[in-house]
Amino acid sequence: MVGGILMTQDIHVDDFLTIFVSSTLVLVFGGFYVGIYTAVKVKLLKKWAMSISYLFWMLCAYCMYLMGSLMHVNDFTVKALVVAAIGLFLLPHAVYYMQDRVHEENEH
Amino acid sequence: MANSYLTSESKRLATWYFTFAAIIFGAQLLFGLVAATQYVMPSFLFEVVDFSVARMIHINALIVWMVFAMFGSVYWLLPDETGIETVGIGLGKLLFWAFAAAIVVVVLVYLFIQVGPADETSIWFIHEGREYIEAPRWADFAIVVVVLGFISNLYLTGMKGNRSGIVTVLMADMIAFAGIYLAGMFFTDNVSVDQFWWWWVIHLWVEATWEVFVGSLAAYGLITMIGAHRKVVEMWLWIEVAMLFGSGILGMGHHYFWIGTPEYWWEIGALFSALEPLPLVAMFIHVLYDWGKMQGEEDAKGKEHSVITNKPAFTWFILNAFGNFLGAGIWGFFHTLPQVNLYTHGTQFTSAHGHLAFFGAYATILIGMMYLGVQGKNGIKVMNHTKSSIWATCMIFGGVLGMTMALTVAGYADFIISRAQWGATWEGYFAGQGGIWYAQGMGWRLIMGVITFTGFLFLVKDLLSTGKAANHVR
Repeated sequence: MVGGILMTQDIHVDDFLTIFVSSTLVLVFGGFYVGIYTAVKVKLLKKWAMSISYLFWMLCAYCMYLMGSLMHVNDFTVKALVVAAIGLFLLPHAVYYMQDRVHEENEH
Repeated sequence: MANSYLTSESKRLATWYFTFAAIIFGAQLLFGLVAATQYVMPSFLFEVVDFSVARMIHINALIVWMVFAMFGSVYWLLPDETGIETVGIGLGKLLFWAFAAAIVVVVLVYLFIQVGPADETSIWFIHEGREYIEAPRWADFAIVVVVLGFISNLYLTGMKGNRSGIVTVLMADMIAFAGIYLAGMFFTDNVSVDQFWWWWVIHLWVEATWEVFVGSLAAYGLITMIGAHRKVVEMWLWIEVAMLFGSGILGMGHHYFWIGTPEYWWEIGALFSALEPLPLVAMFIHVLYDWGKMQGEEDAKGKEHSVITNKPAFTWFILNAFGNFLGAGIWGFFHTLPQVNLYTHGTQFTSAHGHLAFFGAYATILIGMMYLGVQGKNGIKVMNHTKSSIWATCMIFGGVLGMTMALTVAGYADFIISRAQWGATWEGYFAGQGGIWYAQGMGWRLIMGVITFTGFLFLVKDLLSTGKAANHVR
């Protein structure tokens, strides 16, 4: 019953390692995305590096897709993972926007 | 020791809290070593300090030393943030001694009485038998009184003095911290219902109120140690609070997957657990961002010195950001979705996550606060590393990371055999526990535990002696 509702089929024994590695890479790549984005915005890196940050987000999203596929997640969890991926994409944009506003108020 | 450089009674009281916290931290590690040894040599201290007792003291001491260090941190930062002496400091001192005495009695009872008759007296006077919050009922009430006194001091000081963003967040957070504890003070005969409320304390403390508390400490540390702009830091703090509460409260669903609660918790748990790493990524980037920005401003002025005024403390703050991301973020995300948690829950995988998350998210920053205490107590302007502080940092962090890796290997072998291959059967459980990888993982965990404890001894030596070291700027 659990299997039927929660996932479309059981996880293959050989897939667990890939699931754990890909879930780790979700956060590692996500961290690189946010980190490089921030570094470009504060001028520690040149503007062209921004494309690398978006590349890391795509890698992060792919790892999330891979992880979800191997887990055979149900429809709701698919949506949850998509929301998480979009949330991570928007996070540095939203934070930097607010950061920028605070700096303007504070320093000018 | 004389507190010659401390003019604030609140900060003096904070050093008492830090000192007691360090002692209990040592007890936590010591009994952790006993429990780890028992995994490798099951007869070790058999019927003297059984595994159940060693484990109980290990995890209870963990909670208690952190709560002590948290109270100490608040008493330390209150005069700086509010601009006045903490209100009700006499009560604070009285409550410190009452709290410390209660903890000593509880630990002695755990150690020497251990078990009692199968009736209400055991619950009232020995322990409640509910992991993490085993404190007997009398101690529960004592803790509530102490926490209410602490909160009244915090509120009275916050209302009388300057109420900064950090103090405001702490005031709100501490109400939740205290209120949620009440959910763990009763139990029901229905295990599902009982666990439902029990998680209110365990999860909501750890993944909501404590994380917010850490965010506040990080904000205070960045302002005091590198001179980060308050407005910027507090803006980050509010974002983190929103994200932590937004994802952390309903993230509790990942503990409700298999305890008999309705199935909709799978979906709630999956969604909010998937979002839980986001604030941890944000906190990590925030600390690095502020550090880089302040150092950049100094460099632009042509000054080559570091902006950091307390290097040991700042090292622990950086390790906090990293450890939180690693332990709570990566090791949590590993097995937070119900599809994979079906296999991993209750194995050494959980233990690996618990060790690194508690250490990374909380122990690190609280050790950092202890170093801020040492700096203030000894009137040091710029505090540098000593050999002991470097050894302590490397051995403690390396040791805990090593324990986590060892437990991950053991947990992986455990759940693959016992759950994925044997289908969570009785025989499967023992097959999983008897595997070579499991046994070797436990051996390495013990070795890494010894390294951690040795690092702790260096830490104690450093905290006691670094105030007199000659390499600081005074």
